[in-house]
Amino acid sequence: MAETPPPDLFDSRYAVSKRTLRVDAFMNQFIKAGGIGIILAVFGIFIFILLEIIPLFQGAHVKLEREIETGVQHPIVLGVDEWSEAPFLLDQEGVLHFADLGEESAPGGDMSQLGPRGLFTQQLDLPEGFAISAWQYHQEGNQILLGSTDGRLVLVTIEYEPDFSDPDHRVIRPTASLDPIDQLGVAGAPVIGLDFYDGPNGRLIAVVQEQGDTRPFNVTAFSRRRSLFGPGKLSPVGEYDLTEKIPGTIDEVLVGGSGNTLLAVNERGQVHYFRLQDKKFPLEQVFEPFGDLKSPGIATANWLLGSTSAVFTSPSGAMRIFSVARDPEAGVLRYQQFHELSDLDGAADLYARSLRNRAFMVAHGDEVSLRYATTASQRWSDTLDFAPTQGVVGSGYGDMFLVGEGGKLLKFDIKDPHPEAGFTAFFGKIWYEGQPEPQYRWESSGAGDEFEPKLSMMPLIFGSLKGTFYAMLFAVPIALLAAFYTSQFLKPRYRRVVKPMMEIMASLPSVVLGFLGALFFAPLLEYRFPSVLMILVLLPTVAFAIGILWGYLPLRFRILIPQGSEFFYYIPILLVVAVIGWYLGPVVENLVFTVKDPATGQMVGDFTQWWPQVTGLEYNQRNSLIVGFMMGFAVIPIVFTISEDAMSSVPPLLKSAALALGASRWQTAFRVILPAASPAIFSSLMIGLGRAVGETMIVVMATGNTAIMDPNIFNGFRALSANIAVELPEAPQESTLYRTLFLGAMVLFIMTFIINTIAEVTRVRLRRRYKSIG
Amino acid sequence: MAATPEISATQEPPSGASTERRHVKPPAGEGFVWLTAMGLAFGIIMILGLLALIFVKGVQTFWPRDIHVVELVDDSQFTLQGSSTIAGSISDERVKRVPSGQILAEGEKEAREYQFFVGNRDAYGLSFLYVDADDIASWEEPESIMQAERIGWGDSIFYPVSLTLADGSTLPADAPEFEARLHALIDTAAERREEMRHINRGEIGHISQQIVEKERRMRVLREEDGLEASAPEMQELQAELDQLQQESRQLQDEVAQVRDRNDQEQLTYRVITGEERTEPISDLIKVWKPNQMGFFDKLAWFGGDFWSFMTEEPREANTEGGIFPTIFGTVVLVMMMSAAVMPFGVIAAIYLREYATQGPFVQIVRISINNLAGVPSIVYGVFGLGFFVYFLGGTIDDIFFPHHESSVFKSGGILWAALTLALMTVPVVVVATEEAFASVPSGLREASLACGASKWQTIQRVVIPAAAPGILTGLILAIARGAGEVAPLMLVGVIKLAPSLPVDATPPFIHLERKFMHLGFHIFDLGFQSPDSEAAKPMVFATTFLLIMLVIALNLGAILIRERLRKKYAYGSF
Repeated sequence: MAETPPPDLFDSRYAVSKRTLRVDAFMNQFIKAGGIGIILAVFGIFIFILLEIIPLFQGAHVKLEREIETGVQHPIVLGVDEWSEAPFLLDQEGVLHFADLGEESAPGGDMSQLGPRGLFTQQLDLPEGFAISAWQYHQEGNQILLGSTDGRLVLVTIEYEPDFSDPDHRVIRPTASLDPIDQLGVAGAPVIGLDFYDGPNGRLIAVVQEQGDTRPFNVTAFSRRRSLFGPGKLSPVGEYDLTEKIPGTIDEVLVGGSGNTLLAVNERGQVHYFRLQDKKFPLEQVFEPFGDLKSPGIATANWLLGSTSAVFTSPSGAMRIFSVARDPEAGVLRYQQFHELSDLDGAADLYARSLRNRAFMVAHGDEVSLRYATTASQRWSDTLDFAPTQGVVGSGYGDMFLVGEGGKLLKFDIKDPHPEAGFTAFFGKIWYEGQPEPQYRWESSGAGDEFEPKLSMMPLIFGSLKGTFYAMLFAVPIALLAAFYTSQFLKPRYRRVVKPMMEIMASLPSVVLGFLGALFFAPLLEYRFPSVLMILVLLPTVAFAIGILWGYLPLRFRILIPQGSEFFYYIPILLVVAVIGWYLGPVVENLVFTVKDPATGQMVGDFTQWWPQVTGLEYNQRNSLIVGFMMGFAVIPIVFTISEDAMSSVPPLLKSAALALGASRWQTAFRVILPAASPAIFSSLMIGLGRAVGETMIVVMATGNTAIMDPNIFNGFRALSANIAVELPEAPQESTLYRTLFLGAMVLFIMTFIINTIAEVTRVRLRRRYKSIG
Repeated sequence: MAATPEISATQEPPSGASTERRHVKPPAGEGFVWLTAMGLAFGIIMILGLLALIFVKGVQTFWPRDIHVVELVDDSQFTLQGSSTIAGSISDERVKRVPSGQILAEGEKEAREYQFFVGNRDAYGLSFLYVDADDIASWEEPESIMQAERIGWGDSIFYPVSLTLADGSTLPADAPEFEARLHALIDTAAERREEMRHINRGEIGHISQQIVEKERRMRVLREEDGLEASAPEMQELQAELDQLQQESRQLQDEVAQVRDRNDQEQLTYRVITGEERTEPISDLIKVWKPNQMGFFDKLAWFGGDFWSFMTEEPREANTEGGIFPTIFGTVVLVMMMSAAVMPFGVIAAIYLREYATQGPFVQIVRISINNLAGVPSIVYGVFGLGFFVYFLGGTIDDIFFPHHESSVFKSGGILWAALTLALMTVPVVVVATEEAFASVPSGLREASLACGASKWQTIQRVVIPAAAPGILTGLILAIARGAGEVAPLMLVGVIKLAPSLPVDATPPFIHLERKFMHLGFHIFDLGFQSPDSEAAKPMVFATTFLLIMLVIALNLGAILIRERLRKKYAYGSF
C-alpha cells in the first residue's frame, strides 16, 4: 500500500492520497505509542509507590565530613551544641576547647577547614583546689556535673547563643556558667561516680564516693519553686543515704525518668531500682541483666532517649535493653528485658544517644555502630582506623562526633531518615516502652519529643480483614440467594427491572453509606439491637417455613402465585415480619439481656450493658456490625451482578437436559447450574472481597478508628484504607509516617490486586469452558 | 433455547390427571426456591428502603413544619429557661431509654420523647430540646407565630411585635400592612446585601489581588536586583500601591455606609419565653408563618427553599445556607476528569483491541487493567498526593513560581484531583470501550477495508461511531464513580470551605491550582467535623439526597444506553 505506482502506468486518481497514508501512518504510531504509554503509566502507580517505600528499608549512610586536630590529649567530655557548629572538649584541668566549624559544610572538600574563630578555649572558673575526679555530661541541656577528689560538686552549664549581628553570618557564641553545689554526701571523700537530673520542677543528684573500703551512696532531691519571673530558687526536699541498701560496691549510677528513678549498678552485675515517691526512696526491684551469662557483670549502663529504658553491655559485649513496665499481676513497675541486640566484641567503650529518637551510637575498639533500640536493629557499622574515646550524636541524629587519640575530632554526617522503620517494625511484635508485653501496635504520633512511634501494619491489616469479614458475612448469603433466584427462577420480565435496581445499589457513594451508618443506623442499633437480632433470626426462619409449607399446600392455592414472582409476594411478608421483630426486640431484651441496675437493684433489659457484663468485651456505638451492614450495600450488588451473569450464561443445553430428565426446577438449578457456575461465583466473591478490603469512607465514618486487634463484633477497628485517609493529610512529605502510609497503600494494592487476579483468571477460564460446551 | 420456566411449569401434573388433589406432591425443593426468593426480596427492600429514607429525610429538610406551642405540666424538668411554654417544630420522636435509677410509672414499659426544634439559639443558648411526651399538658398551633431564617444564629421562632422603620416610626404587628412591609423590607435588605457583596468580592477583591501582585514584584526587585527602596522603579511601584490602597479604603467606606443604612430598620419580636428582642431586618433572610400555610403553600415554599439551597453559598460553618459551591466544584471536577479520562481511555482501548497482537501478553495486560478497576480508590489518592501534588506540583512551583511565598501547585488543587480521578477511572473506560469495540461486528471492519479505507479511516469512521454508545456508557460509569468518590479527594485538594470557585470571572478564568468544595466531602465534613452536628443533620440529608439523585441519574443513563446498545447489536450483525 505504501508504494505508489508510477504515474505513467496508472492514472494517479487510483492512487491513495498521500495525506491519507500519512495520517494513517501517524495514527498507527500515535496510537501504539499512546496506548503503550497509558498502560505503562497506569502501572507506573505501582512503581511510584514502590519507590516511595524503598527508603524505609534502607540503613543509615554515614560520611566523614570534618577532621580537626585539636591537640587535646585526654579529653573527658565531648559535647556539642544543637546546630553542631561549635563542639567542645573538656580536659582534666577544666579547660573547654571549642572548635568553630562555621555555618557551611566543609568548603572545597577541605576537611580540616575551620570557621573564622578556629580553635578557642575557655578556662572554667572552678573553685580553689577543685581536682576533677568524676563527670557526667547531659547533652539535652548541655550540662556537665563535675565531682572533685575532695567531695565537692560543680554544675557547669554551657549556653550557646546565636548571634545575628552580622546579617550574612550567624555566629554561635558559647558561654559557660558554673553553679557550685553545696556539700552532698560525705565531706572530703573523693567522688567516683555521679549522675543528675535537672528539670523545670527540680533537681536530683546522686553521688558515689570512696571512703576507705566503703562507697557511700547519697542522693539529694531539690524542688524548684516556679514563679511568674521564671524558675525560682532550688530548695532541698530530701537527702537519702542508700549505701546500706546495695550489697557490694557500686560501679555506676543512673538518674532517670523525670528525676524520680534511680538505677545503681554494683560489681556483681545487679541493678538496684529505686523510685522516689512521697519523699521516700524505696528499693523497688533488683535485677541482673546478664544473670544468665557466665560473667554476669555489667560493663556499661546508659539511658536511651526519654530516660526510661537503659542499655546495658556486659564485659563480653552482650547488649540488652531493659525498660520499666507495670507488671500486670503484681501491679507494680518493674524493669524487664525488652530487647536484645547483637553482641559487640567487648564492653562498649563509648555510648552516645540521639536526642531525637531511640537510636544510639556505641563503639568497642575501632568498631563503631549506630543502633536503634525499638527494633533492636543495627543501622550502620564500620571499622575505623583508630579507636575513638569519646563520641556524641548531634543535630537531632543528623551528625555525630568522635574523638580519637591525640585529640583528633571527627565529624560524621548521618543520613538515616527512617531509623524507626524496618520489616520488624511493620510486621513484627515489638515491646514498646511502658507496655506490659510485646505487641502489634499502631500509634504514629504522640505528644513530646520522647514519643516512641509505633508503626505496626498488623492491627491495620487485621482491621481491614475484620471489616471485610463482617461485611461478607452479611452480604454473601443475601447476594447469592438473590442472584440464584434472579437467574434461575425469576420471570425475564421482572429480571429487566430487578437487575438495574441492584446495580443502582452499587453506585451509592460510600460517603453516603458511611454517613447513614454512623449517624442514622448506629444510634438506632445501639438502642434496638435486640430488635435487629430478632429480625435477623425471624426473616430466614419465616422464609424457610413458608417455603416448606408452600409445597404442601393444595395445588389450587399454589397456582395462585405464578412461578417466578414469589419474591414479589415476599416483600410485604418480610416487612410484616420485620415490624413484628422490631416490636418483639424489647420484649426479648427484657427477658434475656437483663442487667442489674446499680441504682435500684432491679433487673433491667439493656443489651449495651449486658454484652460487656457477660462477655467482658466492649460495646461501642460505631461498631463492626454497622460497618458490615453498610458495607453490605457496597458488596451485595457486586457479588449479585457477577454471579447472576455467570449463572444465566451457563449454556442452556444443560438446563434443558436436566429438566427433560424430570428434575424439578430446584434440582436443576442446584445440582446442574450451581456446580457449572461455581467458579464464577467464587470469582464474584473474590471481587466483592476486593471491594470490601479497600472500602474507605464507610470505615472512616462508621468505626471509631481505634487500631485494636480484637475480633469483637461490637467494637470498631482501624482499616488500612481509613488509616491512610485519616493520617496522610497531616503527614509531612517524605517523613517516616508518610512513607509508612505509602507502605499501607502498597499492602492494600497488592492485596486487592491478588484477589482480583484470582477472580479474573477464574472467570476467563470459565468463559472458555462454557464456549466449549455451548 | 427452549429451556424456559415454561418447562418446569409443565412438570406439575395437570390437576385433572390426579384422582385426588391432596395427592399432588410438590416438586422437590420448592421450599428452597422460596428461600432464595427471600434473598432477592431482602435486597430490593434494602435498596428501596435506603432510597426512601434519604428521600424522606431530604425532603423533610425543606418542608415547612408546623410550630407547636406546648404547655408543660407543672413540675416538668424540661423547661426552656424557666418557661414552661415551649414553641417549636417536632424534629424527632423516639422511644427514650430510661436512665438508670428511674422507675417508670406502673404499667409503663417505655417513655416517649419529642425533640423540638426551638430555634433562637442566641436567646436560649440551644436550638433543640428533648421533652418527654408525658410532660406535655397541652398542644396548640397559633396562626400568628412566625419563623425566620437568619444570617446568623440559625432560625428564630417568635411572635412579631413591631417594625421600626428607617424614619424612626414603628409599625405594630397587628397593622394590616405589617406582613407586606416586612417582606418588602427583607427584599430591600437582600438587595443591599448583594450590593455589598458585589463590592467586597468583586471590586475590593480585584484591588487586593493587584496589591498582592505589586508587593510581590517589589520583593522580587529587592531580592534579585538588590534595588533599594529609593530606586525609581520601586518608587513607582510604591506610588501605585498607595493609590490602590486608597481606592480600597474608599470602597470599604462605601460598604460601611450601605451597612449602616441596612441596620436602621429593625424588627421587634417576642420569643415564647416572653423576652422581647430587636434585630435589624438585614439579618433576616425570610420569614413565614407555617401554621397558616396550606399544602400547596408549603409545596411552593418547599420549592423555593430547595432552589435557594442549590443556588446559595453556605453560611454558619456550612450548617446553613446553600451548597452551590459544592455542586459547582463537583461539576467542574467531573468535567475536567472526563476531559482527561476520555482520550486516554479510548486510545488505550483502541490500541489493545485494534493494534496490539492478540496473545498471552495482551491478555495479561487486559486482566491487569481489569484488576486496576478494583484497586481501592484511596491507593489512587495516595499516588495522586505523592506524584501529582508533591512531585509534579513541586517541580512546577520550582520552575514557574519561585517567588511565591506559599506553594501554588505543590498543594492539592482541582487539577490534581481531576487527574487523580481520571487515573482511577481509566480502567473503567478502557474496559467498557474495549467491550464496545469487541461487539462491533468484524464484518463492518472488513467491508470498510475492502472498500479501500486505511486502517485509521476504518477505525475513525466505522468502528468508533459504531462503538460510540458503548464508549459513552463507559464514560458515564466513570463519571458516576468519580462524582461519588471522596476518599482520594481528601488527599488531593478538596476543602471544607473554599474562598473562591475554581472557575470565575477573574483571569485566567480557570484556576487549576485552587482548592474546591465537593458534594461528597461536604457530607463527610458536615456529619463528622461540624461543631454542631445536630444542627447540621438536615443539611447532610439534603446534600446526600442531591448527591444520590445525581449519581443515580448518571447510572440509570448508563444502564439505559447499555440496554439500547444490546438491542441494536442483537440484529445488527451480518
